[in-house]
Amino acid sequence: MKILLIILMFAGGLSAQTFTVEKVSGDVKYQNGSSETWLTLKVGTALKDDAVISTGKNSSVLLKGNDVNFNLNESSAVSVSNIKKMNIDELLLALAMEDIMNAPKEIRNSSDNTAVYGTKEGESTLQIITDDFGIKRLNGAVQLAENSLEESAVVAAKETYRKYPDTKKLPAYRIYFANILNDKGLYEEALDEYVDIQNLKLTDEERTEINTKTESIKMKLLSE
Amino acid sequence: MRIIFGIIITAMFANVNILSQSFFGLNGYWGLSSNFNTPLYSYEGNTSNYSHVRDWGFSFIYGVEFAKSTNSNIYSISLSKTLGNHNLSARFTPGYQKEFIFNTGESFVVEDSTSQSLTASVNYKELFGLGYSYKFSEDFSVGTTFRFFTQDFFQEFVTPVFEDTSIIFLRETESEKVKFWKGDLGVSYILNENLTFVFASINLLNFGVKADNSDFKDLELRREVGGMIGVNYIPIDAAAINFIYETTGSYQVALNGYAGDLGFGMTLFHDKYQEPEMAGMIPTISYKGKIFELFVSGVKYFSNRKKDFGVSEFVENGINNVLNNPYSFDKILLTVSFNINTARERTVKLIDVEIVKDIYPTFSENYVEYPFAYGTIVNLTDDYLTVKPMARIEGVNEENIQSPVSTIAPHDTVQVPFYIIIPESYSSEKVELSYANFYLFTIADQPDDQFQKAVLVNSINSWDGRVSNLRYFIKKDLDFSMSHSKAVLSSNKTVLDTLPIALENFYKAKILFNEYVANLVYISDPRATGEYVQFPHQTFELKGGDCDDLSVGYSSLLESVGIQTALVDYKENGKVRHVNLLFNTKLSPNQAKLLTNNDTKYFIRENVDGKDEIWLPVEVTSLTDFETAWKLGAEKFNKEAISELGIAKGKVNIVDIY
Repeated sequence: MKILLIILMFAGGLSAQTFTVEKVSGDVKYQNGSSETWLTLKVGTALKDDAVISTGKNSSVLLKGNDVNFNLNESSAVSVSNIKKMNIDELLLALAMEDIMNAPKEIRNSSDNTAVYGTKEGESTLQIITDDFGIKRLNGAVQLAENSLEESAVVAAKETYRKYPDTKKLPAYRIYFANILNDKGLYEEALDEYVDIQNLKLTDEERTEINTKTESIKMKLLSE
Repeated sequence: MRIIFGIIITAMFANVNILSQSFFGLNGYWGLSSNFNTPLYSYEGNTSNYSHVRDWGFSFIYGVEFAKSTNSNIYSISLSKTLGNHNLSARFTPGYQKEFIFNTGESFVVEDSTSQSLTASVNYKELFGLGYSYKFSEDFSVGTTFRFFTQDFFQEFVTPVFEDTSIIFLRETESEKVKFWKGDLGVSYILNENLTFVFASINLLNFGVKADNSDFKDLELRREVGGMIGVNYIPIDAAAINFIYETTGSYQVALNGYAGDLGFGMTLFHDKYQEPEMAGMIPTISYKGKIFELFVSGVKYFSNRKKDFGVSEFVENGINNVLNNPYSFDKILLTVSFNINTARERTVKLIDVEIVKDIYPTFSENYVEYPFAYGTIVNLTDDYLTVKPMARIEGVNEENIQSPVSTIAPHDTVQVPFYIIIPESYSSEKVELSYANFYLFTIADQPDDQFQKAVLVNSINSWDGRVSNLRYFIKKDLDFSMSHSKAVLSSNKTVLDTLPIALENFYKAKILFNEYVANLVYISDPRATGEYVQFPHQTFELKGGDCDDLSVGYSSLLESVGIQTALVDYKENGKVRHVNLLFNTKLSPNQAKLLTNNDTKYFIRENVDGKDEIWLPVEVTSLTDFETAWKLGAEKFNKEAISELGIAKGKVNIVDIY
């Protein structure tokens, strides 16, 4: 219901930004739009909204936009479109998109084909070795938060969890972004995250923290 | 009935007040709104021929008069037939007659010295009648009745014949039969449930001849023109008060009561030509069955009946009615009426139908899932009714299409949905204004009620502009698409056989796209005012189309080989809306690297089993190659659907085909 109301109330738009590279240190690359090619980023390069920046080890880049200065540290990746100020309403809309995007839960009429003999249709037999780009994405999201772009950070993290499922198994990142939701007062969304995190392999300290925050949120929700 | 006056008449017949008409009915007066139809067979009290008969009606009156002799105990046999708003009736009235026999006062002595008197007689008969009425509405009816009368006059007289030495008296007779028709008009008006009125003429129309014999002229029934008004007032459901007044000065007052199937009536009547003020009464008990009515009634006069009286008195008082006059006697009557409905009584009424959507023949599944019209229907009975709604669109359906059965409480009004099925064979390329026929069935083969309304039937290429309905164009041409896709993929079998099965969807989509766009060009829809969508085979035939046509065609090719697709509806404010599509690679997110090094080119959707799968956007209108179409599709989707939160704001919709 909260999301629906926000959809109705929300009338503004997110404006695209153009950033200029102020400072580059070490190995910093970028992709433009849907390009498959990574290019070396240089000082003075103008980055459009659809660009993605990636830094190597011991590397960093400083970007300057209209009203934002953003520093991306080592082993990180961020979409330029994520470097923007969002409010809570926009964050909720972005979180809601995850469900809206999903395929319908009831298929009206099956269009399945006969599986190829000896295999199961859709079975993934190809083993893929994942690189660390998902972790770079999460690092980038952390830095969005550290640059006071917490809402954008959560959106970037959530997208990373979907596209790089292994990153969803990293408790430290999960707790970090769940805490942002909690701090922003989005208790139901934070609680969903904490409950999901409890299923991961946690240290004692992490489990204690999760339990404490879970109970705290439940109390708050009950008192509302 | 025959009355013999033992009177010496010194003068022949003088001017006698005999009228053929008054509103005297043998069952009394019951008004229009009575639960009973039997009293309405009386043309006397119901000149307007108003009737409750729904189909066929039959009535029979048998009576006994407390007199020495009676001409007939069968007073009347009536038949009534209703056809729509028309009612026709006829009656045969053998008991409606009155005969008077007079002693002329002349006598003669025959050879054996006995004296013999000469007689005269007159017999008034109403033989039969015809009625017609038309109901302009349930509240207003106009009708007419025509009645046929005969008057038989007879007299004896003596003619002297002079011979040489004597006078011989010859006994001779003369007679004359005078026939005439009389017609009257009547109006029945039901003001409300409590008050009804009737207005009627008396002797308005007369057709026939006068008596030739001057001796008989003064004894003819008089046909003075007049009128009447009747009022029927129902203060409570169980009782009614009725009043009739004639311009002759005669009137009747009646009180009726009802208790279930029983009825009670008491009519008091005043006759200008009879004493006392209230000349008599007609008590009645009645019973109403399902198909018949039974009336037992009596006519009781409050004065002694005249058997012998002087002709001067007869001439002075006259009679006002063949049935009811100073010389009539008390009667007991039994009336049986039947209402035979060969046409079944309507139990449910279709008040109105609202068509909620025009017909787009290609959206056939939509009409099976959602009604195209709603009917407002009312149960006219005291019982629960199970109603079967049906509909048929002229030019589209050969037979009626049944909608779900509804049960309606007694006298309740409900809305019922009407569904329709568009036959697979329907292929009209013209937009036509047709008619939808709506029927309600209960138990019979014939509909209880029906309704007709105009409906717009679009062509098979018509589209209502909703992207969600483009799926019907995709599904309808799957046979063609499957044939085409298989042919294309077969020609690329060598390539496909060497690929990992996980990448099968991706490469099939790529091969089909490149082949699809190779010979196509983008053609904007020339039918700017009306949306028009091509079926995939038409896009191939025409070698092009707009974004709707191209997306429909490509989606149909993919779906036909089992690749799941979804249309993406971009509702750009103030601009032309745009459609492209997403397709499911069936790859998991961890396999994305098999497709691309750019994680902004794909999107994750959870499938029905809860597993995340990679979907790729394709801008079909690029008409270049798959990679370019994918790139353009991804950039548009990233910008408008994701970054600008278009999906959450409802500006971008994903419409799954299945």
